[in-house]
Amino acid sequence: MAILALKSRPTEITPDADKSGPIELVRYVCAIGAMQSAAAIPRVVPITHCGPGCADKQYMNLAFYNGFQGSGYGGGPVVPSTNASQREVIFGGADRLRELIESSQTVLDADLFVVLTGCIPDLVGDDVGSVVRDFQKKGVPIVYAETGGFRGNNFTGHEAVTRAIIEQYLGPWDGVREQGLVNLWSLLPYQNTFWRGDLEEIKRLLESIGLKVNVLFGPDSAGLSEWRDIPRAQFNLVLSPWLGLATAKLLEERYDQPFLHLPVLPIGARQSGEFLRQVAAFAGLPAEPVEQVIVREETRYYNYIDGFTDFYSEYWWGLPARFAVIGDSAYNLALTKFLVTQLGLIPAKQIVTEDPPVEHRDSIREQFRAIDHDVSVEIDFIEDSYLIHDAIRKADFGHKPPIIFGTTWERDLVKEMKGSLIEVGFPASYEVVLSRSYVGYRGALSLLERIYSTVVSHSA
Amino acid sequence: MARKLKQIAIYGKGGIGKSTTTSNISAALAEAGYKVMQFGADPKADSTNTLRGGEYIPSVLDLLAERRRVDAYEAIFEGFGGIYCVEAGGPQPGVGCAGRGIITAVELLKQQRVFEELNIDIVIYDVLGDVVCGGFAVPVREGIAEHVFTVSSSDFMAIYAANNLFRGIERFSNSGGALLGGIIANSINTEFQREIIDDFAARTDTPIVQYVPRSLTVTQAELSGRTTIEAAPQSAQADVYRQLAKRIADHTESKVPTPLNPQQLREWSARWADHLVAAERAEAERSREIA
Ligand SMILES: Nc1ncnc2c1ncn2[C@@H]1O[C@H](COP(=O)(O)OP(=O)(O)O)[C@@H](O)[C@H]1O
Ligand code: SF4
Ligand SMILES: [Mg+2]
Repeated sequence: MAILALKSRPTEITPDADKSGPIELVRYVCAIGAMQSAAAIPRVVPITHCGPGCADKQYMNLAFYNGFQGSGYGGGPVVPSTNASQREVIFGGADRLRELIESSQTVLDADLFVVLTGCIPDLVGDDVGSVVRDFQKKGVPIVYAETGGFRGNNFTGHEAVTRAIIEQYLGPWDGVREQGLVNLWSLLPYQNTFWRGDLEEIKRLLESIGLKVNVLFGPDSAGLSEWRDIPRAQFNLVLSPWLGLATAKLLEERYDQPFLHLPVLPIGARQSGEFLRQVAAFAGLPAEPVEQVIVREETRYYNYIDGFTDFYSEYWWGLPARFAVIGDSAYNLALTKFLVTQLGLIPAKQIVTEDPPVEHRDSIREQFRAIDHDVSVEIDFIEDSYLIHDAIRKADFGHKPPIIFGTTWERDLVKEMKGSLIEVGFPASYEVVLSRSYVGYRGALSLLERIYSTVVSHSA
Repeated sequence: MARKLKQIAIYGKGGIGKSTTTSNISAALAEAGYKVMQFGADPKADSTNTLRGGEYIPSVLDLLAERRRVDAYEAIFEGFGGIYCVEAGGPQPGVGCAGRGIITAVELLKQQRVFEELNIDIVIYDVLGDVVCGGFAVPVREGIAEHVFTVSSSDFMAIYAANNLFRGIERFSNSGGALLGGIIANSINTEFQREIIDDFAARTDTPIVQYVPRSLTVTQAELSGRTTIEAAPQSAQADVYRQLAKRIADHTESKVPTPLNPQQLREWSARWADHLVAAERAEAERSREIA
């Protein structure tokens, strides 16, 4: 069963219910956007049971006008859809779905199909489970998740898809754990513009201290064999403020598998070193070899930073001092940590935009309050871009032009404020992103290049 | 002469006698010379059976299940006295959305302007009255029907459904929705039943249009696949239906009902339940004394 827990909306617990309502310039998509999470697993093909336009919209938003990442093996325009219309509403769409699954099997070569439902079947109450179970009984590798837009956004949709694969594809397990094997649950594929390069760098770091990684999504995943291996892993690593926690808890319940939750994605030497030490300690790895890895990475890292300091200290035309981040909690927290602790920039406004479930909000707030031993940041949770821009305009950036880490939606605002914009999240429609990464040791260097190229070219 | 189309909706809980009553009204109106269409808006699709010798007709949705485009005339069948019979129909039990089906069927006839083309005087919608979702409220909403009547017995469940309907009407009343014409009190044979339904009518400030007794004539007519008007035109029961039909044809002023809220309704029914128990006890006592 892949029933999504209906998530309590923040507006239900505050008296200020007017805050919900129409949203200007969206920063996430609806739950069926998780079709791209399925497509992010090599050789997995989503099948959508939804109205016309639902699937296309997710693809164009997430994978096209967001770094022009492309559709992947089974995503985007490949995705079969029932294209449900009036007939499916009145009479139910189960037969149409059955027909579509049958023909998809003959036309598409996939290791696993993931059926995702949109609003129409979820509202009408199609028994999608029984259709899919019929195929499962016949040995067809297929699972389903209910992802109608009214159930939540693509973050909760992603968790529903993950849960569906674990519950419907993995089955029970009572084998022997493999020490040093870890399942990585981190960035939301496609929504985070840089997820591919970032997962590659995280994987590289974990492997450098001797771990084996089921990275599960993206070009660096081996695909379903990794998913089948999930129960064998020594532990789950949740590397994000909240996304993936539900999955880790599910795996803990199901397979008695422990998990380590690290809310901060490491950017730069300080954070990456801390990350490696924390993971190593949890995995029970001896400290010495880990320290050697850190030394090696830092030698390379600081070599480049050395050169960069000439610029950083000498560029007297002025570099921005205060910054704002508008984005998903994962990148927002990681960037704020890096910019404050490593570059000494001053946080002016941090806005978390992905509408995290209410039960996680306090812990996200706490993370920002502990940015550094002497820096505490109060964040806002806002989804509507009108309100976001309003908050940025009112923030105190001092006398210098601000630097804003945000999305394409901030283009006009930043022009108006005569500042610099680094597009780091959905939608990044003026960035072409292939394997670029902004995390770890290597990603931090790319990030510095990006930030300061933008700044110095500002007046060019 | 362009005639003014009158659209009436008759709601009530399942099995309460909507179709029986509606078909007799239609038959009586046809007898009086009106051009009538009866539109069954219940997935059971048996509203018009007694107008067509007990025979089922294919529903709008039966036709729509077969192909994407349907000509409304394919779903219209003539019955007793030239009455146009239409059934909206519905999906299989447990699948799909019956409410959307009703909306689609109503829209189909509206779009294709059949009421105008057939020069109809009165359309009567026979609607499943639990108003379970938006679809079943469509005849009330958007001014499709102007007047709504509810068929109710003195049974608490029937009154509950009627009160729900009143709440639906109240909700749509200031956005051009239909208003309430009154209660058709069906199967009222005893003084006690009459008191109950009268009290509910008084509490909700609603007129009772007609008391219709429960009668074997109705059952016999139904068994022969006909309305009482057709099968027993001379009967007293037929005259009851004629009187009802005339009142509905002449009816012009409907109004916003004042439904009971759930708490009031519960208290109201509890009070009548107490009465009922007391009355039965008294009855039992009396028979013991006689014995
Ligand atoms: N006044 C009445 N006298 C006798 N039988 C009646 C009367 N009203 C309804 N019935 C019977 O009750 C049953 C249900 O009626 P029907 O009109 O089909 O209900 P509905 O359309 O509300 O579901 C039918 O068998 C019908 O003959
Ligand atoms: S919210 Fe519903 S209708 Fe809209 S795109 Fe998402 S699934 Fe489709
Ligand atoms: Mg009926």
